[in-house]
Amino acid sequence: MIPRHLLTTAAAALALGAWATAANAAGKWDGADDLPTNPLACEAGGAAEVAAKPYDGGQPTNPPDLAGKEITIVDVPKLIGIGYFNATSKGIQDAAKELGNVKAKTDGPTEAKIDEQIKFIDNYITSGVNGILFAANDPVAIAPVLKKALSKGIHVIGYDANSTPDAREWFVNQAEFNGIAKAMIDSMSKEAGDDAAFAIVTSTFTTPNQARWIAEMEAYAAKCHPKMQWLETVEAQEDNNLSFNQATTLINKHGDKLKGIFGMTSVATPASAEAVTKAGQCGKIAVVGLATPNAMKPYVHSDCVKSVVLWNPIDLGYAATYVMRAVADGKLKPGDKSVEAGHLGKLNVVNGSEILLGAPFIFSKDNIDKFDF
Amino acid sequence: MSLASAALTHRMPRWLVRHETILAIILIVALIGLGALNDKFLTVDNLLNQGRLMTEIGLIALPMTFVIVTGGIDLSVGAIVGLSAIMLGYSWKNFGFPLPLAIVFALVVGGVAGFVNGLVITRVKVPPLIMTIATLALYRGLAEGISQARSVRGYPEWFYVLGQGSIFGVPTQLLILILLIVVAGVALDRTTFGRALYAIGANETAARFSALNVDRTKLIVYTLSGLASGLAAIVLVSRVTTTRMDMGMGYELDVIAAVVLGGTSIFGGSGTIWGTVIGLVMIQLLKNGLALTGVKGDATIVVIGLALILSVLIASSLQGRRE
Amino acid sequence: MTAVAAVTHAPARGSLLRRFATQEALLALAIIALAVVVGLINPRFLAARNLSDILLGNAYIAVAAIGMSMVIISGNIDISVGALIGVLATLSGSLAVAGAPVLVTWLAPLALGIVVMAAQGAVVAYLRIPAIVVTLGMLSILKGGLISVTGGKWITDLPASFHLADLSIFGIPMPVVIMATATVLAALWMWYSPRGRAIYATGGNAEAARLCGVDPQRTIVMVFALHGFFAGLATLVYATQLRVIQSTTPAGLELTIITASVVGGVSILGGVGTVIGSTLAAILIAEITSALVFVNVSPYWTDAVRGALILATVIVDIMRRRRRAERG
Repeated sequence: MIPRHLLTTAAAALALGAWATAANAAGKWDGADDLPTNPLACEAGGAAEVAAKPYDGGQPTNPPDLAGKEITIVDVPKLIGIGYFNATSKGIQDAAKELGNVKAKTDGPTEAKIDEQIKFIDNYITSGVNGILFAANDPVAIAPVLKKALSKGIHVIGYDANSTPDAREWFVNQAEFNGIAKAMIDSMSKEAGDDAAFAIVTSTFTTPNQARWIAEMEAYAAKCHPKMQWLETVEAQEDNNLSFNQATTLINKHGDKLKGIFGMTSVATPASAEAVTKAGQCGKIAVVGLATPNAMKPYVHSDCVKSVVLWNPIDLGYAATYVMRAVADGKLKPGDKSVEAGHLGKLNVVNGSEILLGAPFIFSKDNIDKFDF
Repeated sequence: MSLASAALTHRMPRWLVRHETILAIILIVALIGLGALNDKFLTVDNLLNQGRLMTEIGLIALPMTFVIVTGGIDLSVGAIVGLSAIMLGYSWKNFGFPLPLAIVFALVVGGVAGFVNGLVITRVKVPPLIMTIATLALYRGLAEGISQARSVRGYPEWFYVLGQGSIFGVPTQLLILILLIVVAGVALDRTTFGRALYAIGANETAARFSALNVDRTKLIVYTLSGLASGLAAIVLVSRVTTTRMDMGMGYELDVIAAVVLGGTSIFGGSGTIWGTVIGLVMIQLLKNGLALTGVKGDATIVVIGLALILSVLIASSLQGRRE
Repeated sequence: MTAVAAVTHAPARGSLLRRFATQEALLALAIIALAVVVGLINPRFLAARNLSDILLGNAYIAVAAIGMSMVIISGNIDISVGALIGVLATLSGSLAVAGAPVLVTWLAPLALGIVVMAAQGAVVAYLRIPAIVVTLGMLSILKGGLISVTGGKWITDLPASFHLADLSIFGIPMPVVIMATATVLAALWMWYSPRGRAIYATGGNAEAARLCGVDPQRTIVMVFALHGFFAGLATLVYATQLRVIQSTTPAGLELTIITASVVGGVSILGGVGTVIGSTLAAILIAEITSALVFVNVSPYWTDAVRGALILATVIVDIMRRRRRAERG
């Protein structure tokens, strides 16, 4: 006599599994929030469309006059403890030192949780900083606390991961979502062939940046590389071992069919490269992704990975600090078309209140040793 | 050590040596210290704000006290918050419920989740730790699956009064928390229900033989735990204006820390709501005070961990508690 | 199995076999059944390479679960082990990059693991603070401390000799060797040595154990020390597999380890369960994770399905145990 509870639970698990399997037939690449995509032109070097939108950022209420005075700012990234944000933090410190009148500190949650990040920012609002730099874990959830900062006269500048435009003054964008998507898909097509079947390893489906990149990649591939075949996307949090295991599972599952793996985070890419190396598939499976150079050096040197797509996160933090200084000095106002950012030169304003860093940077065998982050 | 503390406590009135009182004294000392280091800490503005931010954990800590007093535990509360939050958004957007109905629905989902916990714990007799570890994974997974990792945003303005507004200058959710603290405190201290909880925690077999409906009582506390998690989810969604499947992640440890710090024994049979409140306030204000003093997040976590162990150590040794 | 009986004599052969024949066999059966079912859907699942990858990638969880099982059997719990593994991995990697001899980089995590855990055990045993409080506090201390000290900087540039997990003995990869040897030795020790059986006694009924000459406090410190050793061993497997060491706490690791122990039949009420069960459970959970990808379960639903399966396993285990208790 099989106990009733066991039967019920087993039935529930099986039903759930069956539904889950069927649900996969929907076949979307990711968990994007249904925002419209905007794929670039297919030719090489298709420039990002610079939309001439009116300024749409938020403004602080009665900010104190800090022109030329020393300012204290805090940088609250998505989380601390990963190479990427260590690099942006370094860029911020470099800029602060260069400028001489900026005191900057990086502080944030140890896990990418939006609620924690909100509490960090809230505490800094209370302690009275002059400016807040942020990379948001969630664009909408972070808005209320950022608006609170603005209402207290604190300058708010975002980088890497945006909030809703009215919650910050400016957003320093490393590259447009569609530009990154184009770079990634074009790289994969070049390395693995125009009809390659590939899989994606990402952190979680709820990470806004990753979700948008993947959505743009889907749109761009459909437009310019329709013969490329998307197999599946798997989640691996921000964990090295998990990413490695997931990538290995993908390799074992698809066998010869798999020709490429996209790594969407600085954790997923080296782990996927390791999985490909351990499986002896270097050269047969291309690994294309976003990563920091140090973690990728062994694979680039062994020719397992040809190129690592990124922008320079140090430059990103550096630019964000210069923007903050310019805003505090009153030199960057709504409606301006560009801003001076130290050794980066003049950066353009796009999309109303975004400041574009520039084209994606490609790390490869020739230049990867010059970087240490 | 026990001889010395016995001698010490022999001369003090009982109420002074209670865990909660000692904790309150430690709390006041810490507050004064942090207030001295920083002039923005002990302001009404800041304290009310902290009250707002600690409400979600506080709401869940109340029934968690009940659960731990009965000798059980509920690790799935964080996952229930995520699931309720998702169902709030999902039912509003996909089922087309009017928002008030969606809010009630989210509460019901939380209650049902807690009820399932209680049902399996009492009927199948799976130990609470094990059951709630399993539902921790299951409920979180359901939240991800149902929401398809999407967020629901764009709620009407009136909804945000709960999480972001104030009534007579006090944050809305804090008022609700205070009300429920009073209700929970009275329930635990003054009603037969409360006494039944202590009895079950102290000796479950004896409780059964005393004609107490142990199973029904346990079912009630786990359901309450789920309901509180649902309520916390609604407050959270209102506060951050969006839903995410990872909401509430890690809440279970924060809640348990507050309850245990407050003197509730993990083995069951003792503990008060008052103690839980002190534990809750202590952790929240410590984190806030340290941050305002310029201590960074990672160091703050270390201090909280030390404070947790030391406080329990001090309080328990002053009582000369024997296991 | 009463506390008295556990201490005074080794269990009779027959009952030992019967004990193994039910709980662990159920898990072994589940592992095989799942492999067969998934193999039918996607034969690539049964490829030797895939099966060995499942074992290799998750052996560290099984090793850590050995120590965790001992802690739970003794009637306690530990939620700091994930953070500890993060610390030990960083220690090991830092020593390696600094040029320390390979043996030192491998032994250091073992030593530190033992020290840290034994200290917690002492606080639990002698200061009578409940294990959940001590380990909850220690979790915070280790997690925050690790980031404070390292600044979150990853460790790259590890010397080739560091990678213990890449070695193999008689063709069997090191992680599997470590996992299997540790499990078998621990299981035998817990069953046949008086100190090992004392763990069951302490967990079952500490007072009765004391009356039989078992010192519950010394036993608890010993259990935590052993747990630290296995955490260190798990770290060796974990850290030496990849070329990068993240200097952070692996998220959710302690929960995964506890789940492996619990699904393996270790009872939170103390006194029951074996480490063979927890190792098999760790393998089963890893297998389920891989199977869900092979079977094309939508990635949005994998966690839910896995959670449901864990719940089902747990319910079945409890029901089976109740049925056996009723039969007497």
